[in-house]
Amino acid sequence: MKFSYNWIREFVEDLDCAPGALEKLVTMKTAECEGIEVAGALLDRACAARVESVEPIPNSHNVKAVVDAGRYGRKTVVCGAPNCRAGLITAYAPIGKKVVNGVESDGMLASGAELGLNRDHAGILELDAQVGAPIGGCVPDSIIEIDNKSITHRPDLWGHLGMAREVAAILGHALKDPVRPDLLPQGAGGIRIQIEDLDLCPRYSALVFENVTVQPSPLWLQYRLTAIGVNPINNIVDMTNHVMAELAQPMHAFDADLLKGGTIFIRPAKAGERFRALNEEEYTLDPSNLVIADAAGAIALGGVIGGLDSAIGDKTTRVVLESANFLGSSIRRTSSAIKLRTDASMRFEKAQDPANTVRGLARAVELLQELSPGIRVAGGVADQKKDIPAPPPIELPLDWLERKLGRAVEPAEVRRILGQLAFGVSEPKRGVFSVTVPSWRATKDISIKDDLVEEVGRMVGYDSITPQAPLVPTAVPPENAERRFQHQARQIFADQGFTEVYNYSFLSEDTARIFGFDPAAHVRVTNPIASDQALLRTSLQPGIWKNITENQKHRDTFRVFEIGLEIHKPEVDLTAEGILDLPDEIVHLVAALYDRDSDGVTGLFEIKRAAECLLPGARVCPAEARSFEHPARAADVQWRGETVGRLFELHPSLVEAGRAAVLDLDLQAVERLAAVETKYTPIRRYPSSAFDLSVIAGLREQVGKLESAIASFAGPLLESIQFVREYSGPPFEAGRKSVTFRLTVGSAERTLSSEEVGTIRGGIIDGMRELGYELRV
Amino acid sequence: MLDGRIQELESSLLARITSARSAEELEAVRVEALGRKEGALTLIGKEMGKLAPEDRKRVGALLNGAKQKIEAALESKGRQMADAGLRVRLDAEWIDLTLPAPGPRRGHLHPMTHIQRELEELFVSMGFTVLDGPEVETEYRNFDALNIPATHPARDAQDTFWLEGGNLLRTHTSPVQVRGMEKLGPPLRMIAPGRVFRNESVDASHEHTFYQIEGMMVDRNISVAHLLYFMRIMLTAIFHRDVNVRLRPGYFPFVEPGFELDLQCLLCGGSGCPVCKQSGWVEQMGCGLVHPNVLRMSGIDPEEWSGFAFGLGITRLAMMRYGIDDIRLLQGGDLRFLEQF
Repeated sequence: MKFSYNWIREFVEDLDCAPGALEKLVTMKTAECEGIEVAGALLDRACAARVESVEPIPNSHNVKAVVDAGRYGRKTVVCGAPNCRAGLITAYAPIGKKVVNGVESDGMLASGAELGLNRDHAGILELDAQVGAPIGGCVPDSIIEIDNKSITHRPDLWGHLGMAREVAAILGHALKDPVRPDLLPQGAGGIRIQIEDLDLCPRYSALVFENVTVQPSPLWLQYRLTAIGVNPINNIVDMTNHVMAELAQPMHAFDADLLKGGTIFIRPAKAGERFRALNEEEYTLDPSNLVIADAAGAIALGGVIGGLDSAIGDKTTRVVLESANFLGSSIRRTSSAIKLRTDASMRFEKAQDPANTVRGLARAVELLQELSPGIRVAGGVADQKKDIPAPPPIELPLDWLERKLGRAVEPAEVRRILGQLAFGVSEPKRGVFSVTVPSWRATKDISIKDDLVEEVGRMVGYDSITPQAPLVPTAVPPENAERRFQHQARQIFADQGFTEVYNYSFLSEDTARIFGFDPAAHVRVTNPIASDQALLRTSLQPGIWKNITENQKHRDTFRVFEIGLEIHKPEVDLTAEGILDLPDEIVHLVAALYDRDSDGVTGLFEIKRAAECLLPGARVCPAEARSFEHPARAADVQWRGETVGRLFELHPSLVEAGRAAVLDLDLQAVERLAAVETKYTPIRRYPSSAFDLSVIAGLREQVGKLESAIASFAGPLLESIQFVREYSGPPFEAGRKSVTFRLTVGSAERTLSSEEVGTIRGGIIDGMRELGYELRV
Repeated sequence: MLDGRIQELESSLLARITSARSAEELEAVRVEALGRKEGALTLIGKEMGKLAPEDRKRVGALLNGAKQKIEAALESKGRQMADAGLRVRLDAEWIDLTLPAPGPRRGHLHPMTHIQRELEELFVSMGFTVLDGPEVETEYRNFDALNIPATHPARDAQDTFWLEGGNLLRTHTSPVQVRGMEKLGPPLRMIAPGRVFRNESVDASHEHTFYQIEGMMVDRNISVAHLLYFMRIMLTAIFHRDVNVRLRPGYFPFVEPGFELDLQCLLCGGSGCPVCKQSGWVEQMGCGLVHPNVLRMSGIDPEEWSGFAFGLGITRLAMMRYGIDDIRLLQGGDLRFLEQF
C-alpha cells in the first residue's frame, strides 16, 4: 500500500516531520515501511510554456522548438512529441543542456508521464494556463510504501485518513477529518435497495447523480492517483478511487441508464450465472459468490469488481454511486475462487467498517461538485443496513497494563494515546479505564484488553521498556528421549563415514510405482507444487535412491543416510467430523553405500557393520526380496527379538553402474528397544576353555542358522560362539562347505574339567548329527 | 715363561674379539680362549700346578686378569652386536606414515542438523523441553487453535499444502505450541524445531520445505520486558556475540501484542550497509505475548498465566551462519555441498 506524504499532511495539523523521519516512526509504532520514493520530482521546476515556433530536423522524427518558458526565458528544445506545434501551451522542465540530432537542446517539453502526473506519454501536456505558471498546482511528493502484510489486521490503514490518524497520534498533533456529513442529501433514497442476507452484506448505501459530465480528471487528481499507483480513467471513476484511497471505503459507479428496473438487489449468484466484468473477463458464478444485480441480472461481483455492461462511459449522464460493506471472509473466498484480487477486494477482506459507507458518499458529493460541474443529487441516501450493536466497553486495569508491558505508563499518557487513536476513555473506578472502541477498529482488530496493551505499548515505544530477566522456578525440563536417540544414531552413522542428507517429504506416482508402492496407499496433496510431488513419502528409500543416482555422477564410492519421517495413511477412514485421522508418522533411518567397482558384497557387510554399531547384537535374517531389491540379497534386520528394519542391495537394474547396499531402520522401534538399563555382572574368576568345531553344510546354508543350532546344543555353560571361517573346495564335494566356529565355555563357580568340556562338545556333535550335519573334529 | 704366553694370548684374543664380525666368530673366540676343556687360558690354568709356589701367585693373578679382560671384552662386543642387529631389523621396518589410513573417512552431518543441535542444547540449558510435532497437522491445530479462523486473511500469507481428507502440511511449527500446552500444562518452557511447508515455487531464496524453531514460555506475570530480555540472551548465544534487539509492531494472530524483532546489523554494527539496506537493523523473527484465546483454547487460564512465544527461521539462520547463497542446496543431496559441514 502506497501512501502520499502530501495527502497525509492535509489531515495532520502542522505536520513538521520530514518523510524520512516519519517513515522510521511509522515503522516503529504502526506498520512496516518498505521505502520512500519521490513522485513528481520535476514538478517544482517545471512551468507552463508557449511553443513559439517549430522547425523540422533533417533525417529525424524530432523537431526543434523555440519556447517561451516564463522565468527561464526563451529556450530551444528538441522534442519528439507528435503534438508539438506552435501556439501550444505545454510543460517545460529545465533538465540541462544536451545535443540531440546535432541541435543543442536546453531542457525538455514534458508529457504527463514524464512529470509523473499520469501515464500518458503519447504526447506533451496540453495546458490551459499562463506561461510560467506551475503545472496544475502539483508539487513533488514522497510516496511511503507500507508492507501489506503488516496491515492485514487494520482495515482503517488501507486509506490515508487512517494512516494520518496514526501519524497524528505518534507526533501528538491534531487530526482533521475531510468528511462533511452535512453535504449528504436528506429525503427518500434515490433508488431502492434489497439485501437478501445482511450477514454477507451488512450495509449498502447509494446515491443517484444527474447531469453528470464524464471527462478526464483535473491534473491534481490524476497526479494524486498516479503517485500511489492507481491509473487515472475519468473523473467519476477517479473520484471513487480517491475516496477509497482516502477513507479505505471502496465504491463503485454504475451508469444509471444502463440499469434495468428501479431496485438494486444484493443476493447470492445463481448457479451458473454468467457475469462480464470490467476487466473484460467473463465469469461463471455459483451461490457462494455475492452479486449486485438489477432486474436483468448481475451488474457487479460484490466487493470485487464492477460489470462491463453498466460501466461509466463518455455518454453517461446519470450515475448510481454504490458505497457498501461486505463480509470479509465471503469476499476473500470469491476473490480467491475466481483468482482476481482488486483494490476493493483487498480492502473488504480486512473487515471494513459499515459506518464508513455514508462517510464515503458525503466525501463523494463534495468531490463531484468540483469534478463534474453542474452535477445534481437525485433524492436522498438509499441505505439498508444490519443493526450492529456497539461493542461493550473494554475494562483496562492500569496495574494489569503495567504488568503486561513491564513498565508503568502515566494514566494521563494512556488516556492521551487512546484518545488520539479515537478510543473513548473514562475512569469509572480509580485505576481502571473503561475504553470504547472506534467502529473502524471494532470489526476485527480490537475486542479485549490485551489488544489495548499493543496500542499503548507501541505508542510509548517498545524501546522505552527495560529488559528484565523472567524469574521462573528452577525446573529440569522433561527429556525428549526419541530426539536424543535420533541424534545418537546420526552421530554413529556420520562416524561410520555416512553423510547426512535431507530429502523432500514428497514423492511422485512414477517413483512410487518403481518401488512397487501403491499410489493409492499414500496421503495425497490436493494442491501440489508440481504433479511429481503429489504424494507424501511412505518410505525414505526413493529419496536415497535419487541421492545415489545423482551423486554417482561425481563419485565412485560414497555413503549417505537420512533420518526422516515416513507418513502412512491412517487405516480408519474418517473421524466424526468427516476429516481423515492424522497419518502415522514413523521416524526411519535409511543409509546407503554405493560403490562403482564392486560386486556389492563388501558394501553389504560394511553397512551391516554400521548397523551393528547402532544395534549391537543385531541379527540379519534373509527374507524374500521385494521388486526393487536384489533377489538374492535381501534380509530383515532383527534386534532384541523384533524385526526393526531391512538390509538389501538395490536391484542392479535401478543402479546405472556399480552396486548400492541399503539399510532401512525403524528408529521408533529401535529407540524403544534400546531403552534397557545396564546392570553390571561380575567378571569371571575361573578360566574358560575354548575349542573349534567345523560343520559340513550345503553351500547356501546360513552361517547364522548353524551358529544358533550349535549354541542351542551347547547349553548354559556357553560363554560365546564366534564364526572363524568357511571353506569350500577339495576335499569337500561340490556344493558343500565347511564352517568353523570357536566356542568358549566356562562357569562362574569353578574351572571346568576336561571331561565336562568334552561332554559339552560331544553334546553339540550329537545334536548336530541329529539335524543331519557331519562335523569335522 | 708362562707370563709371556698369557700376555701374548691376551693381546691376540682381545684383537680377535675387536675384529669379530659375527656372533659365531665371537663364540669361536670364547671357546678357544675360555672353553672348559680346550680353552687356551683354561689349559694354562691347568699348568699352574707345575709352577713353583713363589711363581704360582703372580701367574695366577696375571691369568685371572687376562680372563676378566677377555670376558668383559666378549660381553661388550656381544652387546654391541645385538644392538646393531636390532637397529638393522627395526630400520628394515620403515614405513611411510604419510600414506592415508585405510577405512572410510568420517561422514558429515547436515548443516541444519548442526544448527538444530546447537539450538536444542542452548534451550535445554535454559530449562526448555524439546518437543516434536507431526508434519501433517489438522487444520484446527495449524490455524484455528492459533486464533486463525478460516475467514482470517492471515491464512493468505501462508500458502498451504492441503491434503486429501482435510488435513494439511504444517505451515509453521506453532501447532507444537498447542500440543505443548495441551501435554505439559503451565508453567512451561518449550521449543519445537522442525520441518514446515509452504506452497511456494522454489528458487535460490525460496523453498516449499524449510525449518523453523518455535519457542514458548508460560508462567505467571510474563511481560514484554521479559520477552525483550530473553530474546537478547537467546540471540547473543545463537550468534556467539553481544547483540542489540528492538521490537516493533508485528501482526501474528496467536500473539497479542505481536512484534517483529530486529537485530542490530552484525555486519556494520548499526551504521548501515547493503545487508541491512542501510537501516542498521535486520528483521530477524516474530514474537509476542501469547494471545489469551490461544491459552484458553489449550486449557490454560489467561487470567492466571501469561507467556511469550517466538518463531525463528533456522533455515535462514543456517544460510547466514555458513554463507549459503542458494537455499536449494540444503535439500539437494549433493555430497559436494554436504561434505563441507
